Amino acid sequence: MSAMMRGNLRMAMSGVKGARWRSLLTMTGVIVGIVSVVTVIGIGEGVKRQVSEQVSHFGKDLITIRPGTMAKDHSLTSAGETDAVFGMGTISGLTTTDVKTVQRAEGTGTVAPLGVVSGAVDVDGRTYTATPVLATSFDLPDALNQKMAFGDFWDNNSSSAQTAVIGHDVAADLFEENVPLGRKFTLRGQTFVVRGVLNAFPEVPFSPTSSFDDAIFIPYQTAANITNNDANIYAILVKPEDPKALNDTVAAITADLKKSHGDQQDFNVLKPGQAAENGSSVVRLLTTWITAVAAISLFIGGVGIMNVMLLNVTERMHEIGVRKAIGATSRQILGQFMLEATVLSVLGGVIGILLSLAVDGLLYAYTDLKPVISWQAIVIATGVSLVVGIVFGTAPAIKAARKDPIEALRHE
Amino acid sequence: MPIIELQEVSKLYGFGDATTVALDEISLKIDEGEFVAVMGPSGCGKSTLMNLIGLLDRPTHGRYALHNKPVERLNASRRAKIRRDTIGFVFQFFNLLPRLTVIENVALPLAYKSLGSRGRIKQAMNMLERVGLTGREFYFPRHLSGGQAQCVAIARALVNNPKIIIADEPTGNLDSASSRLVMELLSEIHKTGNTILFVTHNPELTRYATRVVYMHDGAIVQDEQTRIGEIAATARKVMYTLPVKTEEDDLEGVSTLMHALPHKEAAKSVRNTKAGKKKPAARRRAAAKGKK
Repeated sequence: MSAMMRGNLRMAMSGVKGARWRSLLTMTGVIVGIVSVVTVIGIGEGVKRQVSEQVSHFGKDLITIRPGTMAKDHSLTSAGETDAVFGMGTISGLTTTDVKTVQRAEGTGTVAPLGVVSGAVDVDGRTYTATPVLATSFDLPDALNQKMAFGDFWDNNSSSAQTAVIGHDVAADLFEENVPLGRKFTLRGQTFVVRGVLNAFPEVPFSPTSSFDDAIFIPYQTAANITNNDANIYAILVKPEDPKALNDTVAAITADLKKSHGDQQDFNVLKPGQAAENGSSVVRLLTTWITAVAAISLFIGGVGIMNVMLLNVTERMHEIGVRKAIGATSRQILGQFMLEATVLSVLGGVIGILLSLAVDGLLYAYTDLKPVISWQAIVIATGVSLVVGIVFGTAPAIKAARKDPIEALRHE
Repeated sequence: MPIIELQEVSKLYGFGDATTVALDEISLKIDEGEFVAVMGPSGCGKSTLMNLIGLLDRPTHGRYALHNKPVERLNASRRAKIRRDTIGFVFQFFNLLPRLTVIENVALPLAYKSLGSRGRIKQAMNMLERVGLTGREFYFPRHLSGGQAQCVAIARALVNNPKIIIADEPTGNLDSASSRLVMELLSEIHKTGNTILFVTHNPELTRYATRVVYMHDGAIVQDEQTRIGEIAATARKVMYTLPVKTEEDDLEGVSTLMHALPHKEAAKSVRNTKAGKKKPAARRRAAAKGKK
């Protein structure tokens, strides 16, 4: 750094210190923008990490079949995103026939359907309406690589019995004990016996699997019996017999299902990761919103800096004249004011980064989101604030640099 | 060989009917080592001439050679570099940067030369010693008296070792004691070989000059060589002969006449009616009279 620049930097810092409130207010937009940027990146990184943990937990060969169509890049379209929030995308369910088609497809190993059974759960006279009851097959623990915490899952022989396995949190929430094996509950007038408790699933916000901790699982056949074959299947989980033949199995399932649906591709066969990504579409929506907030506040912050710098240039016109008279070139004046604008915005960036540490801490503590602050996020935030300073500092600096020295000297 | 050479230099402002002639075909040669006083009524173009010579402004017509090199058509950046390296400015209102300390103000021109901070501080210290302000390095301009502030400004003008010093009414804002201090300082600098141009309204200060240039309506009306220590002959005369232009000049003329009269009381009453900023000038005149 040249001596000139060091001097200017010191001047700029003392300028910021001299007008603390003005500087802080000027920086507000940048601060909010940077907090948003760092938080967005943090949430994105966190979700990515959680998804990859989930994938590694469920296995790299878990195929998920979902109803509905999907864009070519396997991301939901913007209309699809709102659908995902309101659950509209999952209205048309898969059927028992589909499950059978999948089971018959070449290369499939374990097949576990997931259906929703509507109805409230009664435990000792208390009614719980918010607890989802899912109908599935005894293959579920295999398909999800999920171990039992207590008891065991039902087997092939009891797949139409009135028996249930509960998610990790249900034990405490509904039965108020850690190991409620043998306890009973009522659903649609039928009494079920708890025979197992699942381990906790890896936490992924807004992912369908994270609610498994709060869900009760009953055998699919039983569900079909008590609901007159109306258990709405929203997903079929499949593991290929040979994990290496993942792509072939996906192709075989797709072909067979398409054939049985009369050549309509109104379903999706998703590889691991894709399914989890779709589950995080709400996160994507959230990210889009925060990104918009970041962009708007950075723009407003930039305009604020430009405004204050223009004011600064006018206030210090005489100084500019003096500096030019004693030999400052236009370029040196330009550099000085650009540096001042950049100091303002980068300082705002630093404050923003510090604040976002606090925001991410709060998110970590109070939500399912587990934001990760990476050095990349900090580098990007610093870069963004630097760019804001340079972009919005240019116009005032040019104004200062172009000023005629005599006119500037006359300015009081 | 002249260090400054102006040939039929004009400066016009405005367009069409509203054109104002600030400088009217001025030709002027100044040799190295001259100490030139520029005198004339307000609005006669003294400051415009100083700005042109100091390369803060460009002439509308005419040629200007500095060190025998034409400079009238140089771009802003080249002119800034010549200002930085060969010209030192001293202004009436000191023009120190209020947010910088004395030493930082003095060292500022060196910063534009990209000199390292240690070198800058060292040279600035030397300059402050030369103007007799050692010990005030870390004061801010607001903590200095007018005379001291002007000495700092002179130190700043000198720090780049310029060949030419241009001072536009350097004593215009100072009392007589400070004026003398500043002029003695400029005189010292002149002795080391610098060429100095200064604008003044005070005939007394022509004592320091080797040459006095009188201006009127944008033209040089008289150019007089003078001896150091003596008030230039025309300077005394010109105060009475130059036509008054403004109310200020009117008052100036009246008060000068009052000083010429033996009635002290009358002089005092005129002084009291004048604006505050004119007081030093009146006092200066009184001091000048006392000397006589």
